[in-house]
Amino acid sequence: MKILIVEDEPKTGDYLRQGLREAGFSVDLVANGVDGLHHALEGAHDLVILDVMLPGLDGWQVLQGLRRQGRQMPVLFLTARDQVEDRVKGLELGADDYLVKPFSFAELLARVRTILRRGRTSTESTTLQVADLELDLLRRRVSRAGRRIDLTAKEFGLLELLMRRQGEVLPRSLIASQVWDMNFDSDTNVIEVAVRRLRAKVDDGFDAKLIQTVRGMGYVLEMPDSP
Amino acid sequence: MKPLRLTLTARLTVLFTLVAASVLLGLGVLVAWATARHFVELDRIFLDDKVHLVEKLVAEAASPAALTGALDDMLDSHKGLFVQVWLGGDLIYGQQALTQNLPADSLASGRLMEWSHAGQALRGVMENLPLPAASPLASTADRRTLRVLVALDTAHHTHFLADLRKTLAAYLLVATLVSGVLGWWAARRGLAPLKAMRDRATAVTSHTLQERMPVASVPVEFAELAASLNGMLDRLQQDFQRLMDFSSDLAHELRTPLSNLLTQTQVALAQRRSADEYRDILASNAEEFERQARMVSDMLFLAKTENGIDLPHRERIQLHQEVLALFDLYEAVADEKHIRLVLEGQAEMEGDRLMMRRAISNLLSNALRHADAGSDVAVQVASNGGAVTLAVSNQGLPIAPEDIPRLFDRFYRADRSRAHPASEGAGLGLAITKAIVESHGGAIDVQSHAGQTRFTMLFDTSL
Repeated sequence: MKILIVEDEPKTGDYLRQGLREAGFSVDLVANGVDGLHHALEGAHDLVILDVMLPGLDGWQVLQGLRRQGRQMPVLFLTARDQVEDRVKGLELGADDYLVKPFSFAELLARVRTILRRGRTSTESTTLQVADLELDLLRRRVSRAGRRIDLTAKEFGLLELLMRRQGEVLPRSLIASQVWDMNFDSDTNVIEVAVRRLRAKVDDGFDAKLIQTVRGMGYVLEMPDSP
Repeated sequence: MKPLRLTLTARLTVLFTLVAASVLLGLGVLVAWATARHFVELDRIFLDDKVHLVEKLVAEAASPAALTGALDDMLDSHKGLFVQVWLGGDLIYGQQALTQNLPADSLASGRLMEWSHAGQALRGVMENLPLPAASPLASTADRRTLRVLVALDTAHHTHFLADLRKTLAAYLLVATLVSGVLGWWAARRGLAPLKAMRDRATAVTSHTLQERMPVASVPVEFAELAASLNGMLDRLQQDFQRLMDFSSDLAHELRTPLSNLLTQTQVALAQRRSADEYRDILASNAEEFERQARMVSDMLFLAKTENGIDLPHRERIQLHQEVLALFDLYEAVADEKHIRLVLEGQAEMEGDRLMMRRAISNLLSNALRHADAGSDVAVQVASNGGAVTLAVSNQGLPIAPEDIPRLFDRFYRADRSRAHPASEGAGLGLAITKAIVESHGGAIDVQSHAGQTRFTMLFDTSL
């Protein structure tokens, strides 16, 4: 997967490039709008991450240029300004997502993966499986090593999200918006508590702890010690 | 075109002068008119008198020659007096030309007439009289009617009246000027308190917001204005103080964690450490950074909401459904403290769903944090006529009365220690809730006693 980052702030650009490379993407970085548009038109990128405030052409103009040339690759905007009009403008111009600085890298990574997964024909199976943990989407049942686990509706939703995106670190904000449809942070550690309770049901009594906390980032469901 | 702007003193002076001028002008016109009328009255009496004299002379005259002599004698002693005597259809005395300019239709018996002749303004009266049959002049029947016209040159009146008008005009001019000057002086004196207030206002800066207008020493009309201005200054001073507190709070809120992060990072760098230790430090830093990022986002959200931006999305909100969705979110937390979440009633209102969710979420989060383990956290939603209320109540330690007024201030925490569990926010939750409620035209209120704390949002939906 090839990603183009157009970001004029050198530190932000470098860290984004490093982070995304280490997450397994191939990354190009340019620092102004003109180069950004040129690269996006030349190279076959799967995703463009665009800063709104750019020297030369701003992010809106780069996006317009791309769409005018018939390039339909997904675009994710980064901006330091959180104005509703900006958000509306970005989405009207055909942006796929919008992140306001300061954002966490875990959040960005999760959104990048969501966008790239979109449109890919996933073999829609009715069960999800990680190690000996099984989740039956149709019958809404969960079992581990053949033993049935009772979950509340929201716990089921949370486990489904973690299993669908196994191996990915999911930040709390993403979990809150995907499972509870809450697009703001709560003062209370609601996600920690929910994950802790889910973990007690899923992992207690088993040697392999599937649900893991990545400090400062979020939560991930995977077999421990798997690469 | 820019309208002409005069000082208040100038306006008052001009108005005062105009009033004085119009009063004096009216008086002058009245005097001139009354004088002229008086002259007409005097002339009338005089002319009537002369008509009777002529009548008497005609009656007594033995012959036309004797009459002419008698009338000439009479006119000699009265300069500016003219007489015409007609007997039957014949002019027997006076000049025919005297009445040539007199319009025929104005010639009527007993009426005062005015006309001009040979450069003289004349005023006269004409009478038709029966001549006694015994008169020597009444020789035939058709000479029985006598017509007498007496006229007076009014030049001396005209001169007098012109002089009078001149005098009156001169007086009017001088008096108007004097009253203008007096008006200017009175206006200046009357407005002196305003100048005092202006001087006081000029002295007010952000450092001297405690200055107030002199309410007691200004006239009653200004006292109200001064009191209103003082009210404005009170509010400004309070807001300004709040802003100052807020900036220093903000600096403090940022300084402490920044200094912690810096220290922690530098201590970590001072020695070689194991990869796990580095990871720990970085993770701890990331958590702290996340908290700071959230605080900045909250601050921006608060600033936008408090600045009264339009609600981005207006829609019908089923409040009870929003509460139930939030119960889903807080279910696990409540369960851990063995708290029951209870919803009563239902209501709908118009507003921004995400913002309202956030406001209610903050109240729930707050209630859960302070609720006694094993108690209920209750949300009551009600719609009553034009009002929608949403109340969140919990049992737990009551809020101290002295904390209540500042509870909704930014960064205000009832316990003043700076050590807070990581889960707790920056002390912006209730401020955000209040800003959201107010941006929906509502009000929020808190009551806390006897181990029961209750936050109530009130919206007027009749608007």
